[in-house]
Amino acid sequence: MRTSLVVLLALLGAALAASGALVALGLKAPLALRELGLYYVLNTIRDCASPEAVAAIVWDYRGLDTIYETAVLYFALVGGLAIFRAAKAQGFKKPVGLTELSKTSTRLISLLIAAVSVCIALHGHLTPGGGFPGGSALAVVAMLAVPIYSVNSMLERGITSTKLIAVRGAALTALGLVALLPVIRGLEIVTNQRFYPGAVLGFTISGSISMYNFFEFMAVASGFAALALYLSIPEEAFREVVERG
Amino acid sequence: MVEDYVFALIVVVLLINTALSIYGIVRRRSLVKKLISLTILSDTVFVSIILVGFIFKYPAVPPVYSTGSPEEAAFLSQHAVDPLPQALVLTGIVIGFAVNALIAFAIIQLYRLVGTTDARKAVKVLAEEVAE
Amino acid sequence: MIVTLLLLAVAALLSLVFVYLAVFERDLMKAIVFSAGQSICYSIMLHAMAAPDITMTYVAVSVGLYSALLVFVVSKTERYEEV
Repeated sequence: MRTSLVVLLALLGAALAASGALVALGLKAPLALRELGLYYVLNTIRDCASPEAVAAIVWDYRGLDTIYETAVLYFALVGGLAIFRAAKAQGFKKPVGLTELSKTSTRLISLLIAAVSVCIALHGHLTPGGGFPGGSALAVVAMLAVPIYSVNSMLERGITSTKLIAVRGAALTALGLVALLPVIRGLEIVTNQRFYPGAVLGFTISGSISMYNFFEFMAVASGFAALALYLSIPEEAFREVVERG
Repeated sequence: MVEDYVFALIVVVLLINTALSIYGIVRRRSLVKKLISLTILSDTVFVSIILVGFIFKYPAVPPVYSTGSPEEAAFLSQHAVDPLPQALVLTGIVIGFAVNALIAFAIIQLYRLVGTTDARKAVKVLAEEVAE
Repeated sequence: MIVTLLLLAVAALLSLVFVYLAVFERDLMKAIVFSAGQSICYSIMLHAMAAPDITMTYVAVSVGLYSALLVFVVSKTERYEEV
């Protein structure tokens, strides 16, 4: 305990001193945008009909990178489920959740988190947010509900991991369709403004950006919820398989 | 003057964090501790990428339009932070979580098969099994 | 401007403390708590650097999902690490 306190104070002192030495050597803080950032900030409304520069870069200027990243997420999930392949999803023999206090407060908090996550995902082309923060926030609800309500109650209501993986597959198919549809007219894939409308009935939807946000939200939320269900299979189910094999 | 000092301080602290997390990956024996250090390393790299896009002016605003008028475009070209590093980090966070979840699944399965999460003991047990 | 710089400096130094404690702690549950503390310090830094998308994603993933995932893993394997 004594040595770790001394080492910690020495590290803090070294950090403060080293930064002073760097300033004396001539390090300067950046004060202006780079050229590429300036182009994105000035031209985002004209090229992508979206006042949010980060969403425009993620889904329009660099849309192909995001499609590949969604594929990487999908394959990582498939690999994880393949490691756990031998046992079916099942609950405990004597299911017991936590106390009534935890269950009631979790119900209130889950409602609030679900509302906020849908708002973040659907409004992602006008304000900061998008599909990834919204989906991760909804996945936190799933990770909370599994230990507090016990896995058996989720399986009895019909929320199995197979169904969640099916929802995820449907959302990814819809995402792929939105990306591939412009090929019909002879344009490249992941085209935004030359194929999709920028505004519908006076509402700005920024072409394909809002559709991508919604489908990515469904895909991320259901994928991480399936992960939580797979993690909570009890150990007895695996013991027989391991002893046999 | 003060901005230069704070910028240098953040750079030095991120370097020390990187060094500590690499020490944690290499020299700690538990596999779960290695996973925790790996998450700290990737988070530190993400923060340093965002630091590259930050400008030390007052006020520094995120690159979001509210009206779309040309005056706002002129204001944002002087005071907005760079949007490109943020887009790259958004992708990176989600990929990092998926790969770390895969590593966590592998650690649990290894514990079921070998009986320990200590890296050196696991190597010994697996070497004996191969020798049989 | 001084508030932004003060937030950045204090959060950076606090994150250094949490990273040191997380790497050198033998009880893995405490190490997970220290790692969550480090994530909170990083999200304060990201907010001060005017990156709201990243702050939202980072808080949900790192403080929420990583801590839950690691608690699951530690409860199914060993809790104490040997030196």
